[in-house]
Amino acid sequence: MFYMYLPIAGNSVNILLILGLGGFVGLLSGIFGVGGGFLMTPLLMMFGIPPTVAAASDSNQIVGASTSGTLAHMRHGNVDIAMGVMLLIGGIAGGTVGVQIIKLLRAIGGADFLIAITYVIMLGGVGGYMFWESLQSMKKSKTTTAEAKMSAGEQKPTKKSLLQMLPLQYKFEKSGCHISMLLPLGFGILVGILAAIMGVGGGFIMVPVMVYLLRMPMHVVVGTSLFQILFTCINVTVMQAYSNKTVDFVLAVLLLLGSTIGAQVGTSIGKKLKADQLKIMLASLVLLVCAKMMAGLLMTPTIMVALKGGH
Amino acid sequence: MKRVVYGLLTVVLVSLAWFNSSMAAEGPLLLELAKTNIKISTFYNGTTLDVAGSLPADEDVVVQLSGPKKDVHLKEKGKVAGFLWMNKTDVSLENTPAVYMVYTPTGSTADKFLNPDLGVGYQALVKDITSNPESADKTFIFGEYVKLMEKSGVYAINEGTVKYGEPNDGMKSFIITLTIPSKMSAGTYKVAALAMKDGVVTSRVTEDLTLELSGLPAAISSMAYGRPLLFGFMAVFIAVGAGLLVGVLFRGGGGAH
Repeated sequence: MFYMYLPIAGNSVNILLILGLGGFVGLLSGIFGVGGGFLMTPLLMMFGIPPTVAAASDSNQIVGASTSGTLAHMRHGNVDIAMGVMLLIGGIAGGTVGVQIIKLLRAIGGADFLIAITYVIMLGGVGGYMFWESLQSMKKSKTTTAEAKMSAGEQKPTKKSLLQMLPLQYKFEKSGCHISMLLPLGFGILVGILAAIMGVGGGFIMVPVMVYLLRMPMHVVVGTSLFQILFTCINVTVMQAYSNKTVDFVLAVLLLLGSTIGAQVGTSIGKKLKADQLKIMLASLVLLVCAKMMAGLLMTPTIMVALKGGH
Repeated sequence: MKRVVYGLLTVVLVSLAWFNSSMAAEGPLLLELAKTNIKISTFYNGTTLDVAGSLPADEDVVVQLSGPKKDVHLKEKGKVAGFLWMNKTDVSLENTPAVYMVYTPTGSTADKFLNPDLGVGYQALVKDITSNPESADKTFIFGEYVKLMEKSGVYAINEGTVKYGEPNDGMKSFIITLTIPSKMSAGTYKVAALAMKDGVVTSRVTEDLTLELSGLPAAISSMAYGRPLLFGFMAVFIAVGAGLLVGVLFRGGGGAH
């Protein structure tokens, strides 16, 4: 009664389960500005969806969730469109390069090793740093504010002088920074390459890049990240449907119903949380996924073969 | 002349009819499926199929459900850098059935029937499978693949599940309810009954079982494969539409934020 058949995945799923899963990941996406692909794909695989279909249908779902989330963040004035466009252009360029790198590595061999190692290092590094940093800043906020102001003031001039040497300076108003357009473009390329290698949207790498490297305010980071993810996932969905025929529309719609609502609720929750709280929660989530991956790599598998197509 | 032609035709037709009927009634083993066509519609979640038949009272019957043979592409796991378990080497198993389920009768252990010489059980499948590269350990790889398929419900050995009726006139009936998991995709499958006595297959009857998509799943599948680009744009369009709709609905209802 509560089951629906997924024609492309070739399996049926419990409607309530998928709605709940969509709602949960949509919630995270609204709070943290991540697409949630790094969580959703493995969860869908656990429920018997083939890995390729899980990843492609998830990107279709993210289109809906990030539309909903971007809209909500725009209302709160949290989307820096100029910054988002720059990151997006960089991301697409980087993605194209990343796909070629993977093709080359698959031909030589060792692609899977690189993917797994990139995954663990990125998740561990990003999660670990974010966790440590937000913990420090939480402690700091308890000490005298004057001290914090001084240390921040010391760092700024040196950084600015280096960055100001780059051409195409632009004032990104919402992000509150005056930097060269080449900077977000370059970071976009970097994240695009990594995301393509790992086969994910890259939200969880993009968010820390904006927070720590572009020094954008956390709430604008979340909105801008969602804006950028929306367009990335539109591109991925069309490409996957066209060349691999792996988009399961029924699955995507079920996930959508949950995630679009989840994203709205998430945005409201996120608004109420402090930046450091947001950061430390996202960091814990990323570290948890990292630990699970590590366990998978270190423990002897119970079944020594896997269907080709997943990671 | 006409008479001769008609006469010859009659002889040919009669002998053909006799030949056909003798094929169907090859032995005293009979097999009947409650239905031979299963429709996969919107809310389909797998189903069951009742199978019945009869056979000589002193024989045993094994029922097999097997699916289209295909080539499966796998990754064999191995250790990288001495301690990391990863999908390491590519290996393909050619001519592997997508579905394979065996139902053995009550009163005996399954081992009695799972014998490559009888053509029953996983070991019997290995003979027909070729691995690519050939150097791969086919039996081991297939054994691991079986574990994977058993987990997803499309391979199974169901011990002691075929039930017999009371013997009557030297014959007995049998019934079994086959599980049709939702993971069994559209296609044509074979349901076979094998009568056995003293470790030898005495007769064998096979019926076709077809699973086909219907309604919404059929429409979506034909669009996804037939017009993939349009399908991709439609999927994006609907997702954006749903996102906007929910966004607007929440603005309407959530004025307090």
